[in-house]
Amino acid sequence: MIPYYITKRVAPALLIILIGLFYSCEGLFHFSPNEITLKESEKNLNAKNIARIQSQVPNDTLRFIFMGDTQRWYDESSDFIKSANAQPGISFVVHAGDISDFGLATEFKWINDIMKNLKVPYVTVVGNHDLVANGPLVYESMYGPMDYSFEFGDNKFIFVNTNSREYKFNGRVPNLPWLLSELRDNPKNKNAIIMAHAPPFDADFDPSMQENFSKMLANDPNVRFTLYGHQHTFKDGEYYGDGVHYFVTTSMGERGYLLVSSWKEGYKIERVLF
Amino acid sequence: MKKSILIFCLFLSHLAWAQQPVDSLIIDKWYMPDHLKLQFAGNIGFLSGGPGYISRNHTLETDILLGYVPKIVGGDALISLTAKTTYSPWRIDLKNARYIVPFSIGAYLNYTFGPQFDSKWPDYYPKGYYWWATSIRPGAYAGGKVGRKVQNRNKIKGVELYYEVGTYDLLLVSYVLNPNYLKPHDILSLSLGMKIGF
Repeated sequence: MIPYYITKRVAPALLIILIGLFYSCEGLFHFSPNEITLKESEKNLNAKNIARIQSQVPNDTLRFIFMGDTQRWYDESSDFIKSANAQPGISFVVHAGDISDFGLATEFKWINDIMKNLKVPYVTVVGNHDLVANGPLVYESMYGPMDYSFEFGDNKFIFVNTNSREYKFNGRVPNLPWLLSELRDNPKNKNAIIMAHAPPFDADFDPSMQENFSKMLANDPNVRFTLYGHQHTFKDGEYYGDGVHYFVTTSMGERGYLLVSSWKEGYKIERVLF
Repeated sequence: MKKSILIFCLFLSHLAWAQQPVDSLIIDKWYMPDHLKLQFAGNIGFLSGGPGYISRNHTLETDILLGYVPKIVGGDALISLTAKTTYSPWRIDLKNARYIVPFSIGAYLNYTFGPQFDSKWPDYYPKGYYWWATSIRPGAYAGGKVGRKVQNRNKIKGVELYYEVGTYDLLLVSYVLNPNYLKPHDILSLSLGMKIGF
């Protein structure tokens, strides 16, 4: 049916060219906006970067950068790297979520390509924009679980998914039982620093869980302050009058981030514009 | 959704059947497609294929392509349906019934099937919370093709090979807003395809 010259000459040649291009030119062919094609070096990044952080010798005072909402701001995020790399004594950077704008693997890769230029490792917490379309699959294969924790020096860092709206306010996000178990599992009473994307006083945080969440933090003497992104503006205050100080970092579009210093008896949080 | 795929598959099988000599009359019906396309890549599937129509002056082609991305290639198994229209204003005839179409330009709408993709955001989002639909991607491309007319051989009247370089709305928005970091090659990708004309 198909002419002889196609089956015997053109088709095999085309196939060989295709296979050759497919393997030699990464990024030349795209099969779907929703595909999740990651290199090995783009997988499980949080676990890899935590290992890098924990291989450092902790100082009495820990300094790290809390930034977030890179979304569609690639130019601004590139400028952030210059500013962050000029900060002395930083152990790591935390990305507060909304790594991507549309939940596409392409966007996550672009941001990772930018964040790779940091002199220090970075870890992430998941944002609402990272949870649309195939975003959850991309996030989990690229960064790992959405709720996780690690310890470094005198600190226990707890990262929790607070994007309740993306789960239809089903009462399971944020995962409060998990958060409580993480807070309880702190025998050395290290500073418990909870970081998440949407703050509890935001409309995207399940309003029926706001009180339980804030009380859980207030009832733990190891929690003094807690960090969020999402609102694209700097904020800070004791929102629940319970001794826990809530800080919100701004977006990359607003060209700002928080510089966090934490030691056994205290902490300092500075706003930086770049 | 499933129903539309089924109808589409029936349509395809009908086409295959129509190529049998016994049914040669069917091919002349107005609704029978003028060609079939098989495409590799281009953000509408690892492979996509389907029927299409061409305008009487042979400059405008409209195709319906069913695309598939296997999990092993795309990290997730994805099925999508694409409607695309390509305009090719010029044709340069060469020897031996061969010809070159130096420039084509076109646009498409791609619909990806799956519960994680929305055409209309559910009620639990405030109005305008997200401005784009995750299931529907408009895209555009430019390209060219080479072809050869086939005479008196079965039903096939011609074969074309084409390439297209394109992008889609979300990548274009990202590019426009980030002239320093993003380069054209970051948002453009290549597709290759074959058209068999009846």
